[in-house]
Amino acid sequence: MGMKDYIIKRSIFSIIAIIAIFIFNFILPRLMPGNPVLFVMGGIKLMPETREMLIKRFGLDKSVWEQFVAYTWRSLHGDLGISFSHYPRPVTELIIKRMPWTIALLLPAVILASGFGILVGVIAAWKRGGKFDLTVTNVGLFIWSLPFFWLALVMLLVFAYYYPIFPLRGAVTRGMEYANIFDFFRDWLWHSTLPILSLTIWNYAGYALMMRNTMVDALHEDYIVTATAKGLSDRAIMFKHAARNAMLPVVTQITLSLGFTLSGSIFTETVFSYPGVGLLTYDAVMARDYPLAQGVFLVTAIAVIIANLIADVIYARLDPRVRY
Amino acid sequence: MKKGKFQLWMKNLKNFWSLYKSTKKGVVGLIIVSTFIIIALLSPWIVPYDPYERNVVQPFAPPCSTNLLGGDDVGRDIFSQIIYGTRTSLFVGFVAAISTTLIGVFIGTVAGYFKSLDSILMTFTDIVLVLPGIPIMLVLAIYLGPSIWNIIVVITITNWTGTARIIRSQILSLKERAYVDSARAIGAGNVHIILKHILPNTIPIILASTILRVVNAILSEAGLSFLGLGDPTAISWGMVLHYAQSCGGFSRGAWWWIIPPGLLIGVVAVSFTLIGYSLEAVFSPQLRRS
Repeated sequence: MGMKDYIIKRSIFSIIAIIAIFIFNFILPRLMPGNPVLFVMGGIKLMPETREMLIKRFGLDKSVWEQFVAYTWRSLHGDLGISFSHYPRPVTELIIKRMPWTIALLLPAVILASGFGILVGVIAAWKRGGKFDLTVTNVGLFIWSLPFFWLALVMLLVFAYYYPIFPLRGAVTRGMEYANIFDFFRDWLWHSTLPILSLTIWNYAGYALMMRNTMVDALHEDYIVTATAKGLSDRAIMFKHAARNAMLPVVTQITLSLGFTLSGSIFTETVFSYPGVGLLTYDAVMARDYPLAQGVFLVTAIAVIIANLIADVIYARLDPRVRY
Repeated sequence: MKKGKFQLWMKNLKNFWSLYKSTKKGVVGLIIVSTFIIIALLSPWIVPYDPYERNVVQPFAPPCSTNLLGGDDVGRDIFSQIIYGTRTSLFVGFVAAISTTLIGVFIGTVAGYFKSLDSILMTFTDIVLVLPGIPIMLVLAIYLGPSIWNIIVVITITNWTGTARIIRSQILSLKERAYVDSARAIGAGNVHIILKHILPNTIPIILASTILRVVNAILSEAGLSFLGLGDPTAISWGMVLHYAQSCGGFSRGAWWWIIPPGLLIGVVAVSFTLIGYSLEAVFSPQLRRS
């Protein structure tokens, strides 16, 4: 099977996965006791005419199949319904408005975490069994086992309450007027340092441990022996020969872990009251805003599936040894 | 015959224990986890106050000799909440890990053994695997409503994929063994072969992965509770943190409310991880030698 077939196979899988998400999102409210209108209204007594009107309004008098087609059609055209808690604003508009804030957190965090994680992993593997390696592995394991949001809570408590270097909440100072874009950027950075740092730690441990393990494997390869025999410096062997090969799975892992990073951003944004998609999710959960919660889920799930497809393609291109 | 089987069992158990004992990390993990299990079992009798009773202490009171971890915003004793929380967190951890494993083993076995079902089941597994964990749990949890059992259901639905994949790969190799062919030759049915000849060989792996699933479940429960989806009638460590975050723990700088629950979750999770790794090391001879 060639590369082309492999990519086609992965694309088909992605399409099936996206269809599965639509089915899941569509079925979930309809599995609840009563009908969706009654369930969502949470036991509020409705006039029979109002009830009829709502059922008609949401197309619940049509067949399930017609409803599903209509739902998918609307979703694909960017109509994810109206938010309950931000009534009458559409879910799509709310998500799009918050998206830039979240991307501004995720991008620096992923870059810092992967850069730092790869570097630490390389050094730990090079000195495997040594003190540095043991510390890195054990600290990594401990970070993995901590509830991530707790790290963020402690950072907030220490650096915003006891040593008020950073603000307690938000992404920018409320009601502040900015002289120029740099002022705005500085204010944002001041607010975002802790959230970015906590997201970085959340991602870092995974990358460092993974890099260390693939690097240890790479160091056992014959070409390392050859490189050593040629009299190359440790540095050259470490970075030019071993790390470049060991990095492949880690590079795809960075794309693959988008779902994981997005989960982390829900906690980070909640703890730091940072107004991105994550905090929007938390607010939707607290307000039991079903359309909003499902809309966020749909968008993140599709983003993650597309990221997975991209990771598969990158990996296949980077590593010709991949068994399709 | 029965007696001989029992003796064999005891002999294996003794062997296993002497190997396990030699893993220092495993013993440490086991001691810590046992301590917490005892605390959880005895919690109703060892709490100094009713964890739900208000005004037993000044609101936001810092730690003192009668209230080891001070009070929350409505004057409930935080120390008692944490003792009680041990019970909820461990209960959810164990039950969710067991149900996750049962589903994972079932799907993994069917996929590995019956070739015709393999691709459809594995495609399904892969789909569940790529879905972003916390968002899907949140959507499920808000529809199901806040209760311990619903949290367990949500964790089970989203976490079984890892187990299914491990078990499937085991079954794929085990079913090609000669003794399976022999069993089939003398007329054994599929269910008999699976239950008597294949699955018993995967028990060590199942055990080790169940322990690691406990870590997953405890962290997931803490996360869901922290995001406000916990059971208000069964306080857990994650919920203590939720209250601390949403009821003004920060504006008062109440470290005694924020630090202890998260630290305990971390300590318990690390201990379970140590046990899990030690079990893997004991059961896999390759790792044992090195």
